[in-house]
Parts: sequence; C-alpha cells; structure tokens
Amino acid sequence: MTQLQEPATTGPGAERPAPSVRQLTFQFAAGPAIPVLSVVIALVLGAIFVLFSGNDPLRAYAALVQGAFGTPYDITETIVSAIPLVLTGLAVAVAFRTGLFNIGAQGQLLVGALGAGWAGAQFASLPGFLLMPIVIVFGIGGGALYGGIVGLLKAVRGVNEVITTIMLNYTIVFVIHWLLQAGPMTAQNAFGTPASTPIGAGARLPVIIPNELVLFSRLHAGLFLAALAVAFFWFLLWHTPLGYRLRAVGLGARAAAQAGIDPARHMILVMAIAGGFAGLGGMIEVSGVFGRVYDGFSSSYGFDAIAVALLGKNSPLGIVFAALLFGAFVHGGAYMQSHAGISSNLVAIIQAFVLFVIAAESLVRSLTRRRGARKPMEAIA
Amino acid sequence: MTWEMVVGASVFAAMLRLAAPIALAALGGTMTERSGVTNIALEGSMLVGCFFGVVAADRTHNVWIALAVALLAGMALAALHAYASITLRADQIVSGMALNILALGLTTYLDYQMYGTTGTPADLAAVPDLHLTFLNGIPYVGEAIADQNSIVWASLLLVVALQVFLFRTVLGLRWRAVGEHPRAAETVGVDVRRIRYAAVLASGALAALGGAYLSLGVVHSFTDGMTGGRGFIGLAAMIFGRWTPLGALAASLIFGYGNALSTSLQGATVGDTKLPVQLLGTLPYILTILAVAGFVGRSRAPAADGVPYETEGHA
Repeated sequence: MTQLQEPATTGPGAERPAPSVRQLTFQFAAGPAIPVLSVVIALVLGAIFVLFSGNDPLRAYAALVQGAFGTPYDITETIVSAIPLVLTGLAVAVAFRTGLFNIGAQGQLLVGALGAGWAGAQFASLPGFLLMPIVIVFGIGGGALYGGIVGLLKAVRGVNEVITTIMLNYTIVFVIHWLLQAGPMTAQNAFGTPASTPIGAGARLPVIIPNELVLFSRLHAGLFLAALAVAFFWFLLWHTPLGYRLRAVGLGARAAAQAGIDPARHMILVMAIAGGFAGLGGMIEVSGVFGRVYDGFSSSYGFDAIAVALLGKNSPLGIVFAALLFGAFVHGGAYMQSHAGISSNLVAIIQAFVLFVIAAESLVRSLTRRRGARKPMEAIA
Repeated sequence: MTWEMVVGASVFAAMLRLAAPIALAALGGTMTERSGVTNIALEGSMLVGCFFGVVAADRTHNVWIALAVALLAGMALAALHAYASITLRADQIVSGMALNILALGLTTYLDYQMYGTTGTPADLAAVPDLHLTFLNGIPYVGEAIADQNSIVWASLLLVVALQVFLFRTVLGLRWRAVGEHPRAAETVGVDVRRIRYAAVLASGALAALGGAYLSLGVVHSFTDGMTGGRGFIGLAAMIFGRWTPLGALAASLIFGYGNALSTSLQGATVGDTKLPVQLLGTLPYILTILAVAGFVGRSRAPAADGVPYETEGHA
C-alpha cells in the first residue's frame, strides 16, 4: 500500500492531498503487531522515566492495572472513560481516511455537548421517546456544523484544516465561558463551577448495569450509541459508494477528481461527518454522565483522540481497542495517583511516547523506502 | 462602562504585559516557519520553560541561571521536534502534538512529584521589573510603561532585531530562501538542514522565554498547564502577522489588548446589558481564521513550510 503512486501536488489548494496523512493511514497495514509494539516501547520509556524520578515503575504499573481493571466497578468505569474516546477517535479517523487531519475533535465534541445540553434543558418536559432523539440530533448536528465549517473553509478558500481546527478548539472554550458564566445557558443554581441548566429526565441515558450486578456503576446506554457509531463508520467507509469516494479522495484527491469525484464537496461532507461523531461523543457525556454542561467539561478527549485514531490504524476495531487502552489509562491513572503516590500524569507521558513512536515508525519506513517517492504534507496554511 | 476601562493607562500597561508572551511565541513561530518547519510544539516549549525556570530558580536562587535553564529546556523539547521533522522527516503535526502532550504530562508529573500539593516555593528569584523612574511624572506614559518587566522590553528589542535579521541580512535572506525553495537555496550552497535546526531551536528558546516570563516575571510560581494555550495564540499571531516579526508584534498587541479589555470590562454594562467580555477571548482565533481565509488581508505561509527536505545528494 505504501508504494502507491503519489499524485502531483501542483493543483489548486483544495485539490492538494496530504500524503503523509495517508502514509499514517496505511503504515500499519501489517496488522496489530506495530501498534502493540509502539505501546510496549512507550510503556518501557515510561518505566525508565518513573525509575529516574525515583519511583518504582512496577508498582506504578501494577497500580495502573489494578485501578483500571481491579474490580467489576473499575472495568465499567474504564469503559465509561473509553466511550467518548471511541467517538472522537472515529472523528479523527474518518477525516484521516479522506486525507484530512482533524485536530478539532475537541471543539466538535464541545459544540455537540452544548447542543445536547441546550436541547435537553429547553425541552426538558418532553417524554423520553421524543426528547432523546431531539437531543441526539442536536448533539450530532452541533458537532457536524462545527466540523463542516472547517471543511467549507478548506474547500472554498483553501484554508489548512490544521489551523482552522486549532483556532476553533479555542474559540469554543471562550464561547462556553460566556454561555455558562453570563450567557443564555447559565443555570441559576450552579454551585461553584459555572454550569448549564440540568437536562430533563427523558434526555438522560439510563445506566445499563443493575445495582445488584455492579454497585453504583455509571455505565450507561451511550455504550450502544458508541457501538452503533463504530458500525456506521465501518459500513459507511467500506460498504457504501460515498465511503468509497471518501477513501478515494483520501488516497489521492487529484486522481479522484479525474474519476469524477469532487474532492471539495467530499471534504466538506467528511468534516461534517467527523464533527457528527465527536458531537455525538459530547452528547453522550452530557446525557450519560454529567446531566448538564459545565465549564471545563472534557478537556482533553479531543487530543487523546488523535492518538486513539493513529494507534487504532483508523480502523473500527483498532479504534475500539485503542480507546479502551486509553480509557484504562484515564481511570487507572487516578487510582495510581491516590494509591501508589505517582502522578496520574505519567499516563500523559506514556501517551506522548506512543504518539512519538508512531511518528517515528513512519520515519523508519520512509528511510527504508525508495527515496524521492514521497511528497510531504502540505504546508500549515 | 467608562473610557478609562477601554483606553486607560492601566489597560495599555496590561496590553503590553499580556502581549509579551504571545509575541515571543509568535516570534518563535515566525523564525521556524520562515525556514520551512512547522512547530506546533511552541506551547510545549513555553510550558517546560515555565516549569524548569521555576525549578532552577528554586534550586539556585539565581534568576539568570533560571532563565538560562528555561531556555535550554525549551530548546531541548524543540530539538526533539527538529530531529523528528528534519532528520527523520516525520509528520510535523503529529510530532508537535506528541511533544505538547509530553510537555504537559512531564511538567505536571514533576510538579506533583517535586512540590506535591503545596505548590512551588513562595520566595522564588524573579525576573526584575524595569523601573523607568524618569517617566513617572509624565501622565499616562508613566503608568503605562514605566514599570514593565524586563522581558517585556527584551521582547520588543527581539522583534526589531529579528525583523532586521530576516529582511536585512544575508543570513536572513538564506533563512527565508530555505523556507520558500530549499532546493534552490541548496544549489547555491546554503546548508538547508543546519538553518532549519537553528530555526527550530531558536523557536524553542523564544517560546521558553515567553514561558519563563509568565512564571518568573509575572506570577513567580508554577501551576499546571499555566501557559493556557498561549503558544497556540502565538501561532495565531504569527499567521495574522503574516510571518514577519513586526506583524507578529502588531497581532500580539491586538490580542493582548483584547485580553486586557476582557479583564478591565469585567462586569461593565452598556445600558442595562452586561457586556459578554468572555467572548473577547475568541478574538485571536476568529481574526486568524478570517486572515488565513483571505477575508482580512491575505496571509500566506512560506512555500516550503511544513515540507520535509531531502538533500539532492541522497536522491
């Protein structure tokens, strides 16, 4: 797959593919060996780091595993942490498949959460069978809109999506400050942290594990929505004409254009789809976990998503496993900090190593491949 | 709402204070992207500058050593990015993201292990303010600029110096040539890799100076993630300033002014409505998107920006 002929990169901005993104898409074509290896390398690097900072790495990792999987409750909490990562991972991956680098899953998730939080509070009195679909539509719609802007600017004005998504991630943070501190969504009785009005009972995703099985489990029906989203991702990309065209654009926008596929249109579309995935993730967090939007909501899921997508090879199953791994990091990390006295931020360090090793993996290939065959990623802007 | 809240000397002073770290990050971005390497790890360099500056100030009680350590930390992170993107020709965005996560994880981790929940020591050596006492009598000017931190002045000097360097010196011309057309630059004997390495390291140092300013110049302590995205605002200022040092400064001043307003207008009202000051925070990002999209001027990146280069000898 890595030997694909590169198209010329001299076309108009909107038609220029991002080859190194494609390269990242296909570099793991050899199966799960390399992702697993990159995690192992990252864990070893993390262990060395723990050792140098004067702690016992085995104790750290034991606590991490204990925290993530030690009890049935912990297992359900790990899954709760993994659900938004699955959705944002899909948001990054579907864009990668179309040759776009979506750094904006974070912002798209937040807009989805806002949409769901607003609709869930606005129509709170509606019964669940009416309210739930409305909230889902607002969540997906909010994210899709925010992602669609990125695709539109890329298609119409040739604006690099990396820039737009970074800027939009920060833009929404301040919009949320306003909405929740002094704006139309501010709740009257938010204690301390600015928050929105709670959503109606009909907008809450129910807990799916009965108390008799796992006491106080928070594992909610968002799990099914996430599973549906994964299935949709797989079906869309590999079993529909649209998915075929999206992947064609990702493999080479110019070649796709020759075959009558309009890359610009598909870039707008795929960014809206990507935003929809992330927006659904935001909706699930609001409806399944928090019951409202509050300031400082889900601060890093969107960035973890890049690691999830790359580690999961942009494939449906890969994303699920990668999200579970990072979900385990998130939940187990808190336990590691409280029980082994090792900062839960060790997890972020390991995650950074994972990403770095993935980047390095692509370079090993680029070194062994015939030189001169590869054109670089387009410029930022 | 009063005029004092909008154009008062204290607002002007706050604008300079808030613009300085953004300008330093933007200068870093300008230097590296002019040579053709995208570095979104400026945020990370800034953060390690913040943290290791504080650690060094705590250990040595010498602010100059602390500053040097801060710059070295920023350059160390940048060196990883340089190695990944220049030597290994890895994806520069992925490498930058990884380093940003690494910087946040590393500083937060070490902060917890070294200072626990008590926070960094209170009696840190600080970068001194520059008291221009001869200005004190002058209305407005005195309050606006007489007591700024030394790093604020240093950043203004750096803007001028780097503007001259990039556009009025031979090395600056080569620097830009490498960012526009590395193959052409190489054929006339310019060492593309060396300039790019220098540029990425310089960007790390500049961003880290901005970070050290925050921790050692302004608040005299370290808190987790205290850069709060200023490295990214710096990238925005770089783009909005069209990849020139002077432009970057102008953009940083605009963004800094927006920041200053969102503080000074806190709780202010027009008629009966409270001003949505929080929305002022969106200004840098929206202006930048508009600039890149060509709605506010046209911002164009160096042609070879973000493009790894293979020397002809290897082809």
